[in-house]
Amino acid sequence: MNRFEFLGRFARNRGALVGAVLMLGVAALALLAPVLFPTDPLRIVGPPELWPGEDPDFPLGTDSLGRDILAMIVHGARATLLIGLFASAVATGIGVTVGAVAGYFGGWIDDAAMRAAELFQTIPNLIFVLTIVVILGSTLGNIVIAIGIVSWTPIARMTRAEFLSLRDREFVQACRSMGMGNARIITGEILPNALPPVIVLSSLVVAGAILFESAVSFLGLGDPNVASWGRLVGDGRQLIRSSWYICAIPGVAIMVTVLCLNLIGDGLNDALNPKLRDR
Amino acid sequence: MTGKVSRRTFGAGVISIGIAGPALLGRAAVAQETPKRGGTLVATWGGGEPQACYVPAGGGSSPTFSSSKLLERLGNRLMDGRFVGELAEGWKPAADFKSYTVKLRRGVKFHDGKDMTVDDVIYSIDEIWKKYAAASAMTDYAGVTAPDAETVVVAFSKPVPEFFFASLLCGPVNYIVPKHVYAGSDPVTNPANNAPIGTGPWKFKEWVRGSHFEYVRNDAYWRKDQPYMDRLIIRYVRDPAGRAAAMEAGDIHLGVFNPVAPPDIKRLTATGKFVATNKGYEEAVWSTTLECNVRNPIFAKKEVRQAMFFAVDRNLIAKTVYYGYARPGTGPIYSPNVEFFSKDTFSTAFDPKKAAALLDAAGYPKKADGKRFTVNLLSAGWFTENGKVGAIVKQGLEDIGVGVNLTVPDRPTSIKRIYTDYDFDLAISNQANPSEPVPTTTQYFTSDGIKKGVPFRNANGFHTDAVDALVEQIKVETDPAKRKALVATFQKAISVEAPLLPLLELESITVASNKVRNHSNDPNYLAASWYDIWLAS
Amino acid sequence: MAGQLNRRTAAFRLLRRRLMQAVPLILGVVIINFCLIQLAPGSFLELMTAENQVSDPETIARLRTTYGLDDPVWLQLVKYIWALARLDFGFSYRQNIPVIQAIWVHLPATLLLMLSSIVLALSVGVAAGVVASVKVRTAWDTMVSVAAMFFFAAPSFWLGIMLIVLFAVKLGWLPVGGMVTIGGASDSGGGGGVLDILHHLVLPTLALGLFYAATYTRVMRSSMLEVAQLDFVRTARAKGLSRNRVTVSHVLRNALLPVVTILGVQMGTVLAGSVVIESVFSWPGIGSLLFDSVSSRNYPVVLGIMVLGSLVVIAANIAVDLVYMWLDPRIEIR
Repeated sequence: MNRFEFLGRFARNRGALVGAVLMLGVAALALLAPVLFPTDPLRIVGPPELWPGEDPDFPLGTDSLGRDILAMIVHGARATLLIGLFASAVATGIGVTVGAVAGYFGGWIDDAAMRAAELFQTIPNLIFVLTIVVILGSTLGNIVIAIGIVSWTPIARMTRAEFLSLRDREFVQACRSMGMGNARIITGEILPNALPPVIVLSSLVVAGAILFESAVSFLGLGDPNVASWGRLVGDGRQLIRSSWYICAIPGVAIMVTVLCLNLIGDGLNDALNPKLRDR
Repeated sequence: MTGKVSRRTFGAGVISIGIAGPALLGRAAVAQETPKRGGTLVATWGGGEPQACYVPAGGGSSPTFSSSKLLERLGNRLMDGRFVGELAEGWKPAADFKSYTVKLRRGVKFHDGKDMTVDDVIYSIDEIWKKYAAASAMTDYAGVTAPDAETVVVAFSKPVPEFFFASLLCGPVNYIVPKHVYAGSDPVTNPANNAPIGTGPWKFKEWVRGSHFEYVRNDAYWRKDQPYMDRLIIRYVRDPAGRAAAMEAGDIHLGVFNPVAPPDIKRLTATGKFVATNKGYEEAVWSTTLECNVRNPIFAKKEVRQAMFFAVDRNLIAKTVYYGYARPGTGPIYSPNVEFFSKDTFSTAFDPKKAAALLDAAGYPKKADGKRFTVNLLSAGWFTENGKVGAIVKQGLEDIGVGVNLTVPDRPTSIKRIYTDYDFDLAISNQANPSEPVPTTTQYFTSDGIKKGVPFRNANGFHTDAVDALVEQIKVETDPAKRKALVATFQKAISVEAPLLPLLELESITVASNKVRNHSNDPNYLAASWYDIWLAS
Repeated sequence: MAGQLNRRTAAFRLLRRRLMQAVPLILGVVIINFCLIQLAPGSFLELMTAENQVSDPETIARLRTTYGLDDPVWLQLVKYIWALARLDFGFSYRQNIPVIQAIWVHLPATLLLMLSSIVLALSVGVAAGVVASVKVRTAWDTMVSVAAMFFFAAPSFWLGIMLIVLFAVKLGWLPVGGMVTIGGASDSGGGGGVLDILHHLVLPTLALGLFYAATYTRVMRSSMLEVAQLDFVRTARAKGLSRNRVTVSHVLRNALLPVVTILGVQMGTVLAGSVVIESVFSWPGIGSLLFDSVSSRNYPVVLGIMVLGSLVVIAANIAVDLVYMWLDPRIEIR
């Protein structure tokens, strides 16, 4: 399947197209954040608890301390996307490695890897993330690693399944008979073919990572130097009677981003698996 | 700032200074009535459930709140400032002030029927006060004896001022515990801590963990005909909105120590069914403090430390973080302290230009990138407000060119980093100070207050021979006028040296239903025994 | 008859195998969490001595021995595992009660929330998925799919807050939080009975369950569409069975299989999600206990919660496998 076919199939899914466009918008906002809002978004710049629209200087209002919500949303896009991408990278890194090794070598390595995967699937994931973050400290790095640690299992299983089906193919046997080492076969030959479904899964992992991070920040365990969307929702909890927009707006941002990622994931899935006709 | 009217109206505004202060917000209480007997009072407070009902070392406000209804002290301070006896009838000093004779009340029984005797008092002072509850106050303690069955004599190795001794007898957790329950055991782990036996107006009935304590009237209480009510229930609700909802529904009658969020305080009092008052906290004034770790060479000069305080807009913090329920702090002695507060102090009110000038003069000019130096600011995460205060302090410092890395760790990490590892440059913490400055206030500034691993002591490392000597004098000066002057000198010296100063003195608020009578009538109401509380119909 | 006997023995075999597999899993959970807690800055003992204003080194040493913190770390781990084997979850130092008791007080509330959310998610999700698949490509289908997309993407804690704003603050129909109305006059502590609890259960269940309902809707819909095309269904239709009868007895039963699978996989996340929802609604479950315990480095309770949480997940997975077997007797779970 060549590139154009792929894009064509992707674009046929209207939802995926909308999702991709919106996602580009969010990414653009994230990149342009320091240009659009050069001052630190965590600075107090106005009177507290202004409603959106009350003051043209603050289109989305201000929070309980007097910070500009629009600035925090735009900068938060940055933090959110970065965390999502890095956490997904960690999860993909671990998952692909474990899955590839398990699927290629089989035997007791496979058993051990699958036991480990089952272990990490048994521990309730958010509880594990919270425990890690509280214990090791609320820095961005710890949060990224914690989310990565609980998210790798589906990727490992997928990679393993792909490797299991690919390792006995002819081209692999040809490589072996040529004397290629295992490492080269894994990374050079099988992995590029195994990747597409894994990429689809990674996009969903990014969405999951964003939801994790926002939950952790909501509970007050996020990095205090970062204007995360989840933290905004958490900060606004005390004020839901009078200023519920402080909770509503960042939540909508999270929902839209996750929605776009899910739509894109669906579109990728469709483009790669045309067998499923009913979409 | 646009100058538009803020949705937020100012908070308490009226600051009630001192013990005999004015005003209740909301409807004023009705004048003298006959107390109605019977019924159940349900109370709550603004914090969480304690780890045990009674903690011998104090353990913070939560166990103090729960245990003070069951266990009693030898004396108590009234709202008008007088000290009166509770389990003691009175006490008087010897001529050299090196010992005090305490006459005990007769006919007091513990909840299990046994009499309170001198043995219980001696045990409590020797084993509980000296080792846990008042260890740092009793450094000069020289023993307690009982010349007869109704008197104890407490001896010290140095003269002890009367105000100090009275404060010791009335200290919030300096209880008289039953010797027959605690002797021979480790008081810290004794199971009676979860179902205490004391002499108080209320008897322990049940602890439903995660929910409430149930206490019943002590029919053999030494105050005749009191308490008036049948049951007292202390309910713990995790969420301030839940407390507000319960109070509105009439299910909780009384909440002490900021039970609901400030917007809810206004909402409740506006219904006309509730009153809110800041009275009842004069002996436990909370503050939010900022301290500079002098182990960092940057803070060796007092001008640099002063600059940290000049850079912070305390009024902004009072308005935005505390909704007006706070006032800027000045020095280590707080303004409600009638005995010792002196207005003559060195002011570090908001003045960023002065802060910048001080730093320039001290040898820390702005470098090419606009920064003078960078500090780690640790804001203890046990109150959510501290994180917000940290953000405002960070902003103020960044405005004068000081780079700030802010962390807001949770309680155990904060305690460890501030008071054990001394791993901070600037720290935001909290204190609750009584009127007697020794040792609660002074131990933050003396060399013997530096105890690694013990929280709420001198973590900033500041100490000078002059201040140490001054505090030693304050400890033994028995003439009240001279003592007051010494404390004023101490106050001024510390505000000039600025190792640790209060950013704000916090106002604590009690919210009560109109029906509750005789509440907020003790200068530390959270730690009072509530023997005279009643509910009108 | 023989078929039934076979199914029963197969079920027992499955049960036994799974229980044996659970042992190394639990062991792994314990070891991981134990190591994690040891990494924590600020141990339980430090916090306790701090709170009790104990600085005398003798007393601290005595407390270390009392709490078994004298032993090297690996020995503490071994002792803990040995106790666990005898179903002794240890002692909560902070509260002076056994861990089991501490957890037992809070566990029923969490289980109630989890159960009601799963019931909601299954009923709404399956129903919506069936409706969407039966009325595929009509307005109904679009509406259901769009709704599912939104609830799938909305963070559950945010959804909870929005529900509170709408139903509790603005409309006043439902309570703001908690599990029971705080009474206190008549009986100690709890107000109403079952009805009161149900009243309080509505919003948390919606907040937690709608995400999973959305998941099951999507899965059910695609699963139904897939199965409807399969041969044996066509055969049934050809035999003349009515459309509805075919839908219910053949398609539904087989289409439920993926939903059941996912339910098993998601059990851990449901438990984790309930922790967040408990925070939003002040629901007195183990979520609050977990936060308190991690904040006070009360590791016996944290370990106990992790172990019990994992046990719940394992039990749920076993139940799911059994249901799977019952739904499709052709499948023998390996």
